[in-house]
Amino acid sequence: MGGRDTNIVLLDENGIRSDGRKVNETRKVTIKAGVLKNANGSAYIEFGDNKILVGVYGPRDVHPKHMSDTSTGILRCRYHMAPFSVGERKNPAPSRREIEISKVIKEALQPAVILKGFPRTAVDVYMEVLQADGGTRCAALTGASVALADAGIPMRDLVAGCAAGKAADTVILDVNNEEDQAGQADLPIGYMPNLEKITLLQLDGVLTPEEYKECLEIGIDGCKQVYEIQKKALQEKYFSTGDGKNG
Amino acid sequence: MSNERGRHVIPGEVITSGNYRSEQNTFMEGNKIISTVIGLSDIRDDGVRVIPLTGGYIPKDDDMVIGKVVSHSAMSWLVNINSCYDGMLPASDVFGRDFSSHSDDLTSKLDTGDLIAARIVNSDRTRDPLLTISGRELGKIDSGELIRISPSKVPRLIGKRGSMIQMIENATNTNVTIGQNGLLVITADHSNGLIKAINAIELIEEQAHVANLTDKINEMLESKSE
Amino acid sequence: MASSVIIDSLKKAHILELLADGKRLDGRSLEQTRELSIDVGVIPKAEGSARARLGDTEVVAGVKVQPERPFPDTGDQGMLICTAEILPIAHPTAETGPPTPDVVELARVTDRGIRESKMLDMKQLVLEKDKSVIGIFCDNAVTDHDGNLFDVCSYATTAALNSCKLPKYEMQDDKPVKIEGETTDPPISTLPVSVTMARIGDYILVDPNMDEWSCLDARITITTNSDGNVVALQKGGPEGFTHDQLIKCAEISIQVGSKIREIIKEATKGSN
Repeated sequence: MGGRDTNIVLLDENGIRSDGRKVNETRKVTIKAGVLKNANGSAYIEFGDNKILVGVYGPRDVHPKHMSDTSTGILRCRYHMAPFSVGERKNPAPSRREIEISKVIKEALQPAVILKGFPRTAVDVYMEVLQADGGTRCAALTGASVALADAGIPMRDLVAGCAAGKAADTVILDVNNEEDQAGQADLPIGYMPNLEKITLLQLDGVLTPEEYKECLEIGIDGCKQVYEIQKKALQEKYFSTGDGKNG
Repeated sequence: MSNERGRHVIPGEVITSGNYRSEQNTFMEGNKIISTVIGLSDIRDDGVRVIPLTGGYIPKDDDMVIGKVVSHSAMSWLVNINSCYDGMLPASDVFGRDFSSHSDDLTSKLDTGDLIAARIVNSDRTRDPLLTISGRELGKIDSGELIRISPSKVPRLIGKRGSMIQMIENATNTNVTIGQNGLLVITADHSNGLIKAINAIELIEEQAHVANLTDKINEMLESKSE
Repeated sequence: MASSVIIDSLKKAHILELLADGKRLDGRSLEQTRELSIDVGVIPKAEGSARARLGDTEVVAGVKVQPERPFPDTGDQGMLICTAEILPIAHPTAETGPPTPDVVELARVTDRGIRESKMLDMKQLVLEKDKSVIGIFCDNAVTDHDGNLFDVCSYATTAALNSCKLPKYEMQDDKPVKIEGETTDPPISTLPVSVTMARIGDYILVDPNMDEWSCLDARITITTNSDGNVVALQKGGPEGFTHDQLIKCAEISIQVGSKIREIIKEATKGSN
């Protein structure tokens, strides 16, 4: 999807971006945990104009049986975009991009989940993008962590996602679709905030070593902000009335 | 080292640090004890654990569970116990030690779709949990409606010394058999009572964490049924 | 996992007992649908969208509009394609991969209901005869499955189409170019609404939930339009209907259908 009109001003003389944000501001993020009836765990996330629904099933039986592991549960992830989620209608069949993103998100969640206690089972994470506006993989990863916790899957930490990038020669936080199309770099990050480990990292574009350091720093800070929203979503569902002292 | 109960935690949150033992639903990082689930922390005698508020049923030895027969082999029945593992009920448990797959037909005692009240004998996770139905109040369930709730809500449904479930049973004229695995069977003489009991149970599942739940349930049970 | 959907032998017996009393497990009467809620414009970037929730079954429908080459034998008509997919989040048994026959049936029945009702006047969707026409896609994504997907997809699709805005195009050098900032209402003359009924024993139930669906003997989905005419039919299930039952089902579908039509109209008010 190239050839976009480059008349939009990515960064004006006051340091304000095309959607009114400052360079180190993320878009508005809201998350609701436990939104589906059938899934064992679920979350709905709006990250700017991204709208993503995540459902988790498991631990459950693995089919075909030869894919199961007798020493541990396995993690399977599917990132998928609805045909109506993007500007030009997308064919429902999985594209190579979706397959790659599914793998990258799985590897971002794997260090967080503890599946040794569930041999011969699988935990399935399904992320459905209903509306896309740049940064869907970070938003999907963020929602997936909340859905996994909602399902009761033991985890060492949540994983929060946020992208840093570069546009108009300036390092910016949380690249939206417009900025991704016309900008100079996009660096999605997945981060475990309590263990302080980065589990997802990719780059599209050109960064000097200085800019790379800046992007990492601003991006991790963005992930920490997103983590606060994840926490809030789980607290709202599970701890919303009274304090925990009553048990 | 003090005892402390009931702090809200989510996965990755540090519960405490120092000379403690990491127990259920926690792990140790350096000298910090960290929760792995959403739940309430419980520190007791230097051990730290978390009581989960969500998650499926994990089979434990001696638990009484309700199960649904889903298939059988020549030597045993496979039983859905609302867990990631299906339970296994050996034919010898029902036919006795002289069971012979040639002369004894499994389906004559239990068939696919039948409900049973069983006890977990061996919950070693390298194989399917082993069940038994020989024992008091165990066996095939001949009548009743099967309801599924989240296993973490079972204690709330039972209530202090059974007070909550008894209140429902008395008000709706039903009998409720509760499995630790979140499966329940309700027997009722009258369909109105059955529907009312189901509604009350669903409300408890939805609002288990709400403070004045007992009052709400009371109110609902006392309102006239249409 | 298949074992979670095997209906236990007691449940079917119960369902029949309650039916004899004119009741259903969730307290409804035989001809009562579950609570229906419809929200439109839930996917603002799509040209039209709706989320329909019937009890615990939920479907999100999105409408995409783009210029297409017409089919060779209908160069004087626009293109309309409706699809349906059961997302793997919707149910433990929903699979990823190529659609199963159930899903194919769901998509085709949804498409037929809209197409045969002539909801959209396809002749008004031509940009240049035989060269360029407007293509309208309505894709249904089932996000939660508690039975009766036919009806929920029908309501989501009708609501999404009824509230969508078509971009305007002009031909420049034989190519269709979108005119930014201008839209028009779709040419809609009727609102198709489907009603699905299950036969369990001698009883006809409207809007079967998953439990009832798993033990039905036969089912029928009847789509009616705003004039109260029958525009599409689909019978399914392992057994049959009597002649009288089919007449009764058609009457029910017209009655219940008109109530649902009002709900859809209310939800899409303000978008046209």
